[in-house]
Amino acid sequence: MNQVIVHPERCVGCMQCMAACATAHSRTRQLFSAIRETPLPKSRIHVGVGLYDEGFPNRCRHCNPAPCMLACLPGAIYRDWRTETVLIDPDHCINCASCAMACPFGVIRYHEDTSAPPKKAVAIKCDNCLERQQQGQAPACVEVCKSGALTFEDPSKALKRKTDQVSQSISAGFDIPQGSPGLTLLNTIKRAQIAVGKAA
Amino acid sequence: MNHVIIGNGIAGVSAAESIRQLDGSGSIVMISDEPVDPYCRPMISLVLEGVIPPSKLPIRDSGFYEEFNITPVLGSRVARMDVDAKTLFLSDAKTLPFDTLLIASGADPRPIKAPAAHLANIFFMRNQHQVLKMLEVLPQTRHALVLGGGLVGFKAACGLLHRGIDVTLLIRSGYPLSLQVDEIAGAMILAELTRRGLNVRVGVEVTAFKGIDSVTGAILSDGSEVSCELVIVGKGVLPSISFVPRDRIQVDLGIVVDDHLETSCSGIFAAGDVAESMDIARKTRWVNAIWPEAVAQGRIAGMNMAGRAVVYKGSLSRNVIRIFGLDILAAGWVNAPDDPRFAVLSEHNRRLNTYRRLVFEGDRLIGAILVNRIETGGILTAMIQNEIPVRGSRRKLLEPHLSLKSLMF
Repeated sequence: MNQVIVHPERCVGCMQCMAACATAHSRTRQLFSAIRETPLPKSRIHVGVGLYDEGFPNRCRHCNPAPCMLACLPGAIYRDWRTETVLIDPDHCINCASCAMACPFGVIRYHEDTSAPPKKAVAIKCDNCLERQQQGQAPACVEVCKSGALTFEDPSKALKRKTDQVSQSISAGFDIPQGSPGLTLLNTIKRAQIAVGKAA
Repeated sequence: MNHVIIGNGIAGVSAAESIRQLDGSGSIVMISDEPVDPYCRPMISLVLEGVIPPSKLPIRDSGFYEEFNITPVLGSRVARMDVDAKTLFLSDAKTLPFDTLLIASGADPRPIKAPAAHLANIFFMRNQHQVLKMLEVLPQTRHALVLGGGLVGFKAACGLLHRGIDVTLLIRSGYPLSLQVDEIAGAMILAELTRRGLNVRVGVEVTAFKGIDSVTGAILSDGSEVSCELVIVGKGVLPSISFVPRDRIQVDLGIVVDDHLETSCSGIFAAGDVAESMDIARKTRWVNAIWPEAVAQGRIAGMNMAGRAVVYKGSLSRNVIRIFGLDILAAGWVNAPDDPRFAVLSEHNRRLNTYRRLVFEGDRLIGAILVNRIETGGILTAMIQNEIPVRGSRRKLLEPHLSLKSLMF
């Protein structure tokens, strides 16, 4: 089963995933009409700023066991066992924010949404784009990501690749692949700028 | 194995489910004095407020006991127990043997001592039944009196106010939620409540109630009188431990449990509002009577009862409350004493109407209060709970747009 895998070291902070996510969860599914919708569609992936001004795409990990699910008072948070996705039933959500206190990654937001009853703020988070997946599409954030920071693949294969990289890195004479030279340069510049700023 | 669980609150329910996950054949008996399906206790205030119907309270459907092959014994309380004979004696003279026992009996409201407290329409707010009774009185209620500025009193007052009833809230300390928040957050809450039309009286208590059959008013400690047709008492709760033999099972304020949630008596466990466990932030034993701890303790106690030795990390006090225009999240030890051991960092942003207070001990965050912009408060709660040392900038933690990555190296 494919899952969204985040590679934060490749994120350039362009936030296109946020626009794509909001559009995918809008009524009209088109960016230009989505921005005129009420309620205004909002992203469920949140690009934050790291210590060195690098981007960091923060999204629901669909933990198991999920702390939000255990903390939910009305039992509105449940797991779709087929896709391992943690979902929130907007009809049952009472907007109490118990899940905000429980989520160690801070990925849940509270607002009106086209998926919820009108005028009712509810807890909203990543749903793995199940609707798109049913139509054979990858999640919107992955589809739009240009830098390879978000991939949609079998987690065990991704893990194997990382493990191989780590074991290769300790073999003598093997250079660790650094990703694209452009990204390395960008991150070096950002770090240098901050170092200069601190010195001044 | 014969597992017996006292209480069908969330701790008991979570324990039963985790026992059944590991032990498919053992018998499970659940005892409760409330003859209803398991329901969400923290949500009863929403029924009073009128935002959810009572039908939304159950947390498991009526087939729960059958589905998990549990024998429910509802409507009776445990009168006493014999630890050596491993037997419970119920209030209706029944006896129940057990191999493993979970005491998840919860807590009972702290009684009030004022004269005429027996009058009708003076309620505690602890269970579904009490709230349903209050709903019957509401149509005749123009003025209501709420005693206690803790979570229960506070939620009761907000709920009644939401229904358009004139409410007077009596608070003994200077501001509401004094156990959960500090003075500045307390003042913000008080200002918001007052702005919404709640009459808040601080530093006063009820000395006597007035009325013939049902309550019509109360005399306060400052000599003044208030008229009211409904009184809700929220003066805190005490663990329900009257049946526990104190010479055999170590009891402090609650039942003392170890890191497997086992009491001092082997095979007997405790979880939820009745249990006194190690508090992660305070580093001392504490009764953290909150829903998420009841879930966690029930789950882990259940696994231990079924023979899997799972360790419980300790409890952490925490609460999240939304009132009108304010969101409040408080976790850990927020009111640590004025001591050089503790460092406090705070920021009150009047433009955004946010307030943050962080309490540190050494390199660990041990307490946090957030007023508004609470969405990422779980990150701070997790830092306290997992005792993650803060090595980077502490001021970063104060930012309203706290980003997970800004904490990582």
